[in-house]
Amino acid sequence: MPLDEEAVAEIYREHGPMLRRVVWRATNDANRVEDIVQEVILRVWKQAPQADNLRAYLITTARHLIVDQHRAAGRRPQEATLTEIAERDSALDQALDQVLVEEALGRLQDNHRDVVRCLYYQRLSVAEASLRLGVPEGTVKSRAYYAVRNLRVILDEMGVTR
Amino acid sequence: MTTGPDDLHVLLGAYVLGGLSDDDHRAYSEHLRTCTQCQAELGQVSGLPRLLDLAGPEGGLHLVAPPPGAPIPLMKEPDDERVSTLLTEVGRRRRRRRTLASVLGAAAAVALFAGGAWLGPSILRATTPEPPTTHVTASAPGSAASVDVALVTRGWGTQLDLECSGLPTDSPLTLWVVDNYGKEYAAASWRAGGSGYTKLTGSTSVPTYEIKSVEVRTSMGKVVASART
Repeated sequence: MPLDEEAVAEIYREHGPMLRRVVWRATNDANRVEDIVQEVILRVWKQAPQADNLRAYLITTARHLIVDQHRAAGRRPQEATLTEIAERDSALDQALDQVLVEEALGRLQDNHRDVVRCLYYQRLSVAEASLRLGVPEGTVKSRAYYAVRNLRVILDEMGVTR
Repeated sequence: MTTGPDDLHVLLGAYVLGGLSDDDHRAYSEHLRTCTQCQAELGQVSGLPRLLDLAGPEGGLHLVAPPPGAPIPLMKEPDDERVSTLLTEVGRRRRRRRTLASVLGAAAAVALFAGGAWLGPSILRATTPEPPTTHVTASAPGSAASVDVALVTRGWGTQLDLECSGLPTDSPLTLWVVDNYGKEYAAASWRAGGSGYTKLTGSTSVPTYEIKSVEVRTSMGKVVASART
């Protein structure tokens, strides 16, 4: 039983922008982005999954589409060893995970993202981050806690489970 | 700054991200031994640093201002025209479903992706910086297996990221960590897939500097790959 048109339009409106960013940055080819995004949504519509987590389902579908195309664009299977194929897919998986992690960081609320930037990427101590951000150390600690929890939830929603 | 016992659980965040003072780090490590709730929460989020490393040394586009002259092309929000294009396609496919139900899937994929080599190079060029880890490549005489192990130092011990190929598929495999005292610890177990290629993450409480070697063994104890650190 396919989803009806209104549901497709709803998926497109709600998840289209996110999918478009992910696909663009995974493929680096703006001309193909809309084709892939539409194909992803059409496949989801066609299979009409009763998915609890539509976002993860859409991203997984996009991943499969990109991987399939990536393989088709590569060497003929008989010329590549299984190891080479696996390595290529692994590089692709990593590139997609990278895109999704960046996307997830973008979805964190601002003050949580600031704390991740200070503590993780800039390697500041809690005390230094407190000065940098102009908030008490206790606030840095509690924001770090919620930042980490929320990031995990966002990544889970995207289907990044490792 | 000191932290009262009631506040200890929030230290999880800075424990994972880094930045705790020595006192807080000690207090939280101590707290972790007995707090099962924190242990469970840590288990859920301890993989985050590895993921965060994927976004590059500065965390990617949302954490740094884009360099001048290299703006990211603006992706237009979906507008009504695009939605109606999509809905037209939905209607078209639904009609085709009725007549071509058995071949529709294949036909649609071919039509949309007949374009050829548009993707490959750009994906493989995407790089991530080397995380602060020790890489060793393991093999064993007479074995076709190749195992790349990255040892990542963690607050709780060592994370072992493995990429294996050529592993035997006829036996469950176990990753063993041998410490400086010759004691052995199982750090992961799995079964290699059809291609013999596996990517997985194991963990051990043994600190990175105490790990003397790592070995992949079959259930019969045969060593298929080993490496000294």
